[in-house]
Amino acid sequence: MQGGWSKDMVGLRISVRFALFLFVSSLIAPMKVSSLGVKDTQLVAEVRNKGWIAFSARTENGDWDLFLMRPDGSRLSNISNTPKLNEMGGRFSPNGEKILYRQMPMEKEFAHDQWGAQGQLVIAHSNGANPVSMGAPGGYPWASWGPDGKQIACLAKQGIQIYDLASKKLIRSMSRKGIYQQFFWSPDGKWFCGPANYSGERWTVVRLDAITGEVNPVSNFQNCTPDWFPDSSQLIFSNRPANQEIVDGGKMAASVGERPDAGWTQLWRADGAGKKRTLVYGEDGRHIYCGAISPDGNYVLFTRSPKDGVGLKNDGAPIGLMRLSDAPVIRGDSIALRRLISRSNEGPVLDLPAGWEPHWTSAQVEVPGGK
Amino acid sequence: MANNSPTRRIWVLIAIIWLGTFLSCEKRSTKQIDPELASSGSAEITAQLVEIPGEFPANDFYNYAYVFKYRVLEVHRGQLNGGEVFVAHYNPLKPRLAAGDEFSGKIGGNLERFRSGQIHRMALEEPLDTYWMGGIIDKYFSQHGVRYWAVWTNRVGK
Repeated sequence: MQGGWSKDMVGLRISVRFALFLFVSSLIAPMKVSSLGVKDTQLVAEVRNKGWIAFSARTENGDWDLFLMRPDGSRLSNISNTPKLNEMGGRFSPNGEKILYRQMPMEKEFAHDQWGAQGQLVIAHSNGANPVSMGAPGGYPWASWGPDGKQIACLAKQGIQIYDLASKKLIRSMSRKGIYQQFFWSPDGKWFCGPANYSGERWTVVRLDAITGEVNPVSNFQNCTPDWFPDSSQLIFSNRPANQEIVDGGKMAASVGERPDAGWTQLWRADGAGKKRTLVYGEDGRHIYCGAISPDGNYVLFTRSPKDGVGLKNDGAPIGLMRLSDAPVIRGDSIALRRLISRSNEGPVLDLPAGWEPHWTSAQVEVPGGK
Repeated sequence: MANNSPTRRIWVLIAIIWLGTFLSCEKRSTKQIDPELASSGSAEITAQLVEIPGEFPANDFYNYAYVFKYRVLEVHRGQLNGGEVFVAHYNPLKPRLAAGDEFSGKIGGNLERFRSGQIHRMALEEPLDTYWMGGIIDKYFSQHGVRYWAVWTNRVGK
């Protein structure tokens, strides 16, 4: 016996302390584990019924097909089902009733950045039914919906060409002012955007006035995959900042066959004049591309590829979904990025199936079956 | 047989005709132009590559055109002034015969590698934007002058 305590008393003391420990732990641990879980669950519940997302993904057959899914990843459905053909670049019409995309034989390879000029343009119902091919392979390059869904604007070597869909007639042409790919018409019809050769720099995302032809830079140096916010006043785009700090001796870059000083591509937003640039999402070890804003302007989709080139050589890249109000989100260690951005969040970010070039509609699409 | 027999004279004549034909063909072949040069592009020049202003990026992920500055030595076709011209070549890391693809259209020639000071005979088109829709590396951006698109590029001399 020590200090007057019996064995039973010592045992009781230990048990009480242990019970206290368990009690306190039970308060802390589930908060840590379930807070992230709760946030993810909340986000899932928020977005589940907010329309549909179209994207290209590689099938078991090895070809690329067009898929639809609910924004939470449920109801996954292959809407093209073409074992001998590849489909990519699905974009819903403004009212969500139709979808346009490019299609080409499976044997041909997509160029991850020049896909819009490959294959044939196809327009179908938004659930993939009744696909109709338009033009020859390479025709209607980079076709982008007009604000009323009755016209498409195309980006050709000769310039921007606007067609009436019903008659297939060329309505208007204008200079493309250096824009060369990933070309999109703003929802309000007043602007075009795309990466351009601008002031001696390639990969400058620019905004082009659809009437006057005036062009202004939105973001210089190493930008691509721009897209519009629903109100046409802002753009989402990918940017790889120069001179990123190398904190691991280049190990992470070397592990995916890239130069140590190559840097990582991040997701940014800015207004149409190129002001108010802010980071949306960054993750060292991942290249973030294909930013696409939800129809209500509250969420953003993107792809997270470990290797540059959006993962096209493999099965695409995992698609992520986050709230814009949670931005900036920085995931992973991302030591160098966290030094630059003092305030950031961890998420939540929904990890959706791997794919490429996602696009979101709020329309209620009749999708038969689906997982 | 006597030296001045008719048969001998006939053989001498045949030999002279043959020799004349042979020498004439030799002359034509040294001046023979690659038919691709003559039939491609709207202009054709022989020019010296002034310099290579910067490193060529790798073609791992992206295609691009690279603008070079040339000193014009001779204008064979087209409306070009002498002096200096800017010529964009597609994916200059690749030999010309291997450079063309579905995005560039016709590209060719016997040039294997670009080196400063080389003399090239080129078939050209312009304006550049009508022939190439993609990234352009132009270190001479601030200098005025038409940017030509090189369709066919042969190296001249050693």
